[in-house]
Amino acid sequence: MPDVKSKKDILQIEAGEDSLWADFGQVERLTLSLTQTYTHTLGRYSRFFIELENQRFMATRCGRCQRVYAPPRPLCPDCLCPTYWVELAGTGTVQTFSVQHFSPGSNADVAALKTPYVFAYVLLDGASTLFPHLLIADPAQVTVGMRVRVHYVQQPVEHPIHLIHFIPVE
Amino acid sequence: MKRVPVVVGIGMTRFAADRPDCNPRDLLTDAVLALLADAQLQDLKAVQHGLCSYESDHFNKQMTLAAILHDQIGLTPVPNVRIEGGGATGALALRTAWAYVQSGLCDSILVYGCETNGRGVSSQTANQLFALSADFDWEMMIGGTYTGFYAAMMRAHMQRYGTTAEQFAHVAVRNRRNARFNPLAQKPMELTIADVLASRPVAEPYRLLDCSLLSDGAAVMLLATEEWARAHSAKFTARPAVYFSATGCGTDTMRLGDRYPELTNFRAKRAAAQQAYQMAGITDPLHQIDVAELYDSYSGVEIQAVEDLGFVPAGQGGASVASGMFDLDGELPVNTDGGLLGRGAPVGATGIAQAAEIALQLWGEADPRRQVAGARRGLTDTHAGIATLSVVNIFERRD
Repeated sequence: MPDVKSKKDILQIEAGEDSLWADFGQVERLTLSLTQTYTHTLGRYSRFFIELENQRFMATRCGRCQRVYAPPRPLCPDCLCPTYWVELAGTGTVQTFSVQHFSPGSNADVAALKTPYVFAYVLLDGASTLFPHLLIADPAQVTVGMRVRVHYVQQPVEHPIHLIHFIPVE
Repeated sequence: MKRVPVVVGIGMTRFAADRPDCNPRDLLTDAVLALLADAQLQDLKAVQHGLCSYESDHFNKQMTLAAILHDQIGLTPVPNVRIEGGGATGALALRTAWAYVQSGLCDSILVYGCETNGRGVSSQTANQLFALSADFDWEMMIGGTYTGFYAAMMRAHMQRYGTTAEQFAHVAVRNRRNARFNPLAQKPMELTIADVLASRPVAEPYRLLDCSLLSDGAAVMLLATEEWARAHSAKFTARPAVYFSATGCGTDTMRLGDRYPELTNFRAKRAAAQQAYQMAGITDPLHQIDVAELYDSYSGVEIQAVEDLGFVPAGQGGASVASGMFDLDGELPVNTDGGLLGRGAPVGATGIAQAAEIALQLWGEADPRRQVAGARRGLTDTHAGIATLSVVNIFERRD
């Protein structure tokens, strides 16, 4: 007997007052799973991620306008010239944040997060831009202006951005 | 004025969380049949160009959807182009059509938008797919979501200007109430501010009822030179002429953190509005615009929008919204059809649906319970990301 292997259901849609599609009221639906695997390059900002394994927090500076980019930008978008690497202390101040009550499960690291979690924008000391990352802290205690620092994790991660997150400065 | 496009007709499906009876081509079919009825056209054979508006190959499970849809509605062999601009796709599609007509490339162009963002995927898959439109390594991989980015902006707005959750809840209540008068709206609701504040937190300060909808749906708009419209649509001469008179577009950095120190508002939206106002000769938008469709992806975003569009000064969005200034009986009614919160938002169709509502309002053909009396000029505000790309389009009735 012929069969469809994917999960299937067949619905009868009511044509209602508009009978234009009365002949097409039978609807079949399938459950399909599509998965893709990529080789993903971190390109010219790779060194940022490699240095996290050495517990060093890197940013880039534009030699022309002196802006310091964290996250790093290999190209200064204002001057259109290549930047160079500088190391930051990894301390900073929360500028704004949200308290997220669901995890989008974007990867295994994110799927493992305990909700609610704090998604913070931090002005690192010495930087010109805000660095977005998780702030592992009691959401009720987090405020704009709070001092935080980069914390280096020890356990294995899927994406190297999870080698760090922010924690409050004690 | 010779080549300023006119609106020949509009067509829309009902927007819904789930349309199991329709795939994208079925949805578009229904919108096109609605257009034929609206413009009193027999077919599309005189239309000179197609313009397909959809955002996501992932949600639609199809690349080259433009080719499939163009074929579906019998537009071959006329030229076609597909426009993608994130959340602003539909508005950017109309803006592109404006340029195609103005340039003389064609005298008529069908802008057709369609998206299946509804329950074809789980909400977790939907979040993952939308997160792909964030910066992959720096935002998506840490669990960032657009709800979270918008929420962080709103927190900064609250911090700087004293904007309150009650004020943005007003938007959530009003837009869903407006949707009650729109039979094509996805989620008409009668709510109170207390209901919004009691809904579960999603990304604080935003709660469930502050968030807009994921939808399946399609919307189309036929634009043409006035000469083409007169020659091909009897309906065009039977109702007041509505011109697509001005358009503006602005952009901003991909990541919010790169906009520091501005975290509260949308620079791209200010730029888009400025261009459109200049083109339309508008110097006092609050009084020179009669009706507007604002991009209320989250309730507080409307508060930011009324500031960036120059309706009220920066910081006064919260108080002005809460005062009822933008309600149906207010000074400048907005989101009369329910907005993204009440009407719904199938991305590629959203900007076109907004423009369709403005056309209805200017023709005087909206449901009487949401019709703005004597509306002569209307605006649509649509953006992508956290206003990473922003489009403002202006329509005017001339008779």
